[in-house]
Amino acid sequence: MAEVHIVGQIQGATGFPEHSLFCKWGIHAGGAWRIINGQREGQTQVDLPQNEAVAVWSHPIDIHYATKGLQGWPKVHVQVWHQDSFGRNELYGYGFVHIPTSPGIHDIECPTWKPAGSWSEQVMQYFVGGGPQLRNPDLVYSGADRYSLKTMAMGKVHLQLSIITRNFDRYGVEC
Amino acid sequence: MLGGQIETAEFPEFDDIYCKYCFTYGQDWVITTGLEEGFTQAAKKSTDDRQIFIWNFPLDVTFKSTNPYGWPQLVLSVYGLDMFGKGVVRGYGACHLPTTPGRHTRRIPMFVPESTSKFQKFISWIIGRRPEYVDQKVVAQGEGREVTRVRSQGYVTVTFNIITKDMKKLGYDCSPSDTVNSQSTEMAGLSMPVTPRTLGTAEAT
Repeated sequence: MAEVHIVGQIQGATGFPEHSLFCKWGIHAGGAWRIINGQREGQTQVDLPQNEAVAVWSHPIDIHYATKGLQGWPKVHVQVWHQDSFGRNELYGYGFVHIPTSPGIHDIECPTWKPAGSWSEQVMQYFVGGGPQLRNPDLVYSGADRYSLKTMAMGKVHLQLSIITRNFDRYGVEC
Repeated sequence: MLGGQIETAEFPEFDDIYCKYCFTYGQDWVITTGLEEGFTQAAKKSTDDRQIFIWNFPLDVTFKSTNPYGWPQLVLSVYGLDMFGKGVVRGYGACHLPTTPGRHTRRIPMFVPESTSKFQKFISWIIGRRPEYVDQKVVAQGEGREVTRVRSQGYVTVTFNIITKDMKKLGYDCSPSDTVNSQSTEMAGLSMPVTPRTLGTAEAT
């Protein structure tokens, strides 16, 4: 079987309207992919930056996949949450990126979006907080059923991922 | 093999700091030569407008492994002295060693844990001790981080020179050039089951 190692970090986020952010992440892969070692999902620390408009997570990722097919190449999906001073959590963005297919070190920016409610919901959100969330978070990394969704732009999540592949050339796969 | 140095730090709020480093790695990894952990000297901030600390501290380590899982990480913790001369933590940070051979520079963001409640914050202000991690290696782990609140401050710049050995021989492709030049001679489909080869000893990084 061909193998893929994903080694890297979720470095942090920029461009979000508030500080005090954390991130829930996960990696989704097709049925032919099997995890040999490592964690498939997790949650980062909450960062309150001192100086800059950057959230620092430095969250390590180290996963070893074995695969029998190329369909469903793994994707990282993230949910960025904001924690306010009362400890309440509010959704700030969804996003996903494909794991790069070529070996080497990759700096990746993952753009994020969040669902925008109707006008009255936005007024309520302004005073009360909270906001709409996806009932089915799989929508983040699937293309189906997105047409009825209204969204707004949020910041970017920065990842640095190193990819090590093994035995792909034995099967004639050039990646 | 790794050769490199902890070069500089940017901590505009503080005056003199020192740095402790260590490596964390998975269970298949062994250090063959070099020091696993160490301390830098205590550096003072430069008085010009760069306002940086220079450590110029060498890192020379060789790792070997049979499996890239658990790829080594450099964990840094920066300590400073408070006004009573006690050591107080000023930042933790971690990064993976680069996986591709060559020269790499990393600017590692640093952060310190925050008290979880206002009361603890007040107590730590009274007794003059910041919260810190019992084991600095938790910053290189993915589990159990959702409960921690941190404040990010400052950066440390580290350069790495990486040499790898026998990665290609064991079937691993680390950099894009490995696959561009590779000759695909076999026409076997990917879905064909193949018994896995047993691994020899790889020397990596």
